[in-house]
Amino acid sequence: METFDIAVIGAGPGGYPAAIRAAQLGAKVAIIEKEKLGGTCLNWGCIPTKALIAAAEIFEKIKHAEKLGITVKDASVNYSVMIGNKDKAVGTLRSGINSLLTANGVKQFTGTASFVDRNTIEISGGPIINQIFGASVPASRLTAKKIIIATGSTSAMPGFLPKHERVVESRAFLEIQKLPASMIVMGGGFIGCELACMAAMLGVKVTIVELLEDILLLLDPDVRREVRAHMEKNLGIRVLTGKALEKISADGKGVKGNFGDETLSADLLLCAVGRKPVTDGLKLENAGLKTTDRGFIEADDYCRTKVANIFAIGDVTGKIQLAHYATAQGIAAAENAVQTKLHKHDTIVPNVIFTSPEVGTAGLSEDDAKKQNRAVKTGKFRFNGLGKSIATGETTGFVKWIADATTDQLLGAAAVGPHATELIAEAAATIRSELTTRELGRTIHAHPTFSESWMEAAHALHNECIHAPPKRK
Amino acid sequence: MATPIIMPKFGQMTEESAIVEWLKKEGDKVNKGDILFTVETDKSVMEVESFEAGTLLKITVPPRVNVPVQSTVGFLGNPGEAIPAVAAPAPAAPKKAEPSPAPAATTVTAPKSIAPTAAPIISQTPDARPQTPSLFRISPRAAALAKHSVIDSARIKGTGPEGRIVEKDVRNYLQQHGYDKLRISPAAKELAAKEKLDVLAIQATDDSGRISVADVQRAIAEKPKPLSKMRQVIAQRLTQSFRDTPHFYVTVAVDMTELIAYRSQLKAAGAPYTVTDFIAEAVVLTLQEFPDVNSSTDGKTTRWNSHVNLGIAVSLEQGLVVPVIRAAEQLPLLELSQRTKSLAEKARAGKATPDELSGGTFTISNMGMMDVESFGAIINPGESAILAVASTKPQPVVRDGKIVVRQIMKLTLSCDHRIVDGALGAKFINGIKQKLEDIELWKRLAA
Repeated sequence: METFDIAVIGAGPGGYPAAIRAAQLGAKVAIIEKEKLGGTCLNWGCIPTKALIAAAEIFEKIKHAEKLGITVKDASVNYSVMIGNKDKAVGTLRSGINSLLTANGVKQFTGTASFVDRNTIEISGGPIINQIFGASVPASRLTAKKIIIATGSTSAMPGFLPKHERVVESRAFLEIQKLPASMIVMGGGFIGCELACMAAMLGVKVTIVELLEDILLLLDPDVRREVRAHMEKNLGIRVLTGKALEKISADGKGVKGNFGDETLSADLLLCAVGRKPVTDGLKLENAGLKTTDRGFIEADDYCRTKVANIFAIGDVTGKIQLAHYATAQGIAAAENAVQTKLHKHDTIVPNVIFTSPEVGTAGLSEDDAKKQNRAVKTGKFRFNGLGKSIATGETTGFVKWIADATTDQLLGAAAVGPHATELIAEAAATIRSELTTRELGRTIHAHPTFSESWMEAAHALHNECIHAPPKRK
Repeated sequence: MATPIIMPKFGQMTEESAIVEWLKKEGDKVNKGDILFTVETDKSVMEVESFEAGTLLKITVPPRVNVPVQSTVGFLGNPGEAIPAVAAPAPAAPKKAEPSPAPAATTVTAPKSIAPTAAPIISQTPDARPQTPSLFRISPRAAALAKHSVIDSARIKGTGPEGRIVEKDVRNYLQQHGYDKLRISPAAKELAAKEKLDVLAIQATDDSGRISVADVQRAIAEKPKPLSKMRQVIAQRLTQSFRDTPHFYVTVAVDMTELIAYRSQLKAAGAPYTVTDFIAEAVVLTLQEFPDVNSSTDGKTTRWNSHVNLGIAVSLEQGLVVPVIRAAEQLPLLELSQRTKSLAEKARAGKATPDELSGGTFTISNMGMMDVESFGAIINPGESAILAVASTKPQPVVRDGKIVVRQIMKLTLSCDHRIVDGALGAKFINGIKQKLEDIELWKRLAA
């Protein structure tokens, strides 16, 4: 039985960076993956959706190119080519991870991991091995001094949904070869909204049904209002909120469901109501670990579980379900597993949503600040007052700073509009460095760029905006 | 004419009080019965309500300033009404101010929560902040540099005329203390400046050695804060007692098995007695047998108390108070029990008046519910002993040559050795023990 310093279970955006970091620090590392390197993020999440959304955005731009003086006749969508392009991008990145792991001397195992005891892992079949060789392949075992659990999450599919090929979650949706003419998206979180925008830009008639009072509820009201208005007015998405989708049925012709008194029907139902942790088959009890009531594995800020030699990172810990947060946790876990001095992972986590318009947030939201009873000031600058935006015709949305009213410290930021997901990087670095609004406002920003909006918003916070009229007191 | 609002007098001994917080702002409409402000007394924080309706025209006494009772703290009236030109009472004036003419009557009730907010206390504490030297001691340029650098100029030695700090001194000080190597985030520096902290005294905890907002917040939390008035009173009285009174301690183990069984029986029958009630009654009875213990001394004279004024310590979130049951020897057990309960509830709710919290001749401190083996208490000033009651626990004891399990409670008497000697202390505490173990006595008393 082979012995390792560190074994990582799961090769997603949390697991593989953990393995590489541990190997960089000189540890002998094993990584166990039951399906594909890169996990949900690379294979069925962040990356494939971005490939499709990028194509959809180009199509959307072509549709509106006339006013810029470009005439494109008969533009049309060949969705199976888009899917092929997406698969190619995913394949490139996946082989990249493979070479990185190999170059760092990380030994890869394919199969499903389960704990025998707190140091021993049994690896059996797994979906891919079983598919190729049948279930007859004997299980193998390895031991490791420290183990990092990075098993991630999977789409939650409520039991009341009919089991039918017309009822899909995000992973299955990304594999379909032909777009439906119409679809209902159940769940107005960021996954539901991203895919709804993508489909709508490609000509699908989309209806979103959200049980709560609004879509994208984690965002400040002004930010989500901006997104929702654009989705409804410009993309023609119908957004229904405040009631559940009920009496859902599916047959060969389509799917149906009731929203209050109205019966909705479409070709496809996409369920995007959240993600649940993956711990099936891990046999955590053999290691002395338990999951929480909601199925997560608890981990502290150092990524330690209740069992001394076992760490947990990423979606399975039930903290923030974002790939880059998992990566930050993974690196911290690897360092804490290998080195004696403990590090906490960082807590300023940028959040990006690839809707149309895009959204990026970092740090505290205005709502969070209110809940904490903090005295804050906000400064906002709309893109329709920015030179670059007007020149490129991308004038939707704004950026907003949230600052401490007494010390002027930048506590949070939100951007909604063109390139918001890129713009938020500056905000995250600024907030982490504990800069003040005045300093950010004095930082020279290149003209003409979208990032100037941050400087203008910092000025706006003190009502000293050059490119906006003074606010009346 | 606008009506003055006056600072009420809370207890016979209260001569001055400070407003904790104004709950109304100038210009606010005030209804009859609205709480105008809260006041901190020695024992608690009380709410002061308005007896009249009107508009709060002016606040003349800000929070945290001690003023004599009966002085004017603000004015009530109709909007736009003229306010008499009255000088604000001198803070903590040694003499009593003249009572204001035609004062707006105010009534006092205890607040729902008597924990004063911490913030106003901190913001008004000059002691916790760097002392800013006077203009004479520091040149304006030096002061500006120190302020800009967010350092405490009081620590700088001046080399100018008569020790005045000049700019060069500040520069040297900064250099000597490695200011050029200091790394601090801009927001952290801003916060330190706002809080008037010295950045050179703040430790960075991050690996990078850069002082973060969290580090400054830690330094703010570590700044000395004044004790609440209640804690200051506790500190002053108990220090005085422990310093001036020679304490000694006598401990006995009381077998509570039968009494606890009897109490359960009473409880099942609807009688509300607690173990504390039995202990209190046993103490009251025993004090009458040993009047020396119910007396006090200043070291030269001794004073007997004709009544047993029994204090029962009640712990609160922010301290400790001792409500006193006066003339407890005149109360039958049932009434003693009821008085104990109602006074303790009043004290916990912060509604006990200063007169109900003073004048004790003997005190019981019961920590039975806190799972303690035994402890010794400090005698309250003006008394000569205090009884510390520990938890009752099943313990192996020897009875008739056999080891059996009994419910044992330890009592510790702290005695003032100036008037209570060892023998008297032992007799007294054994008197309590015997009563608690005498089940027939309780059958007579509780029946």
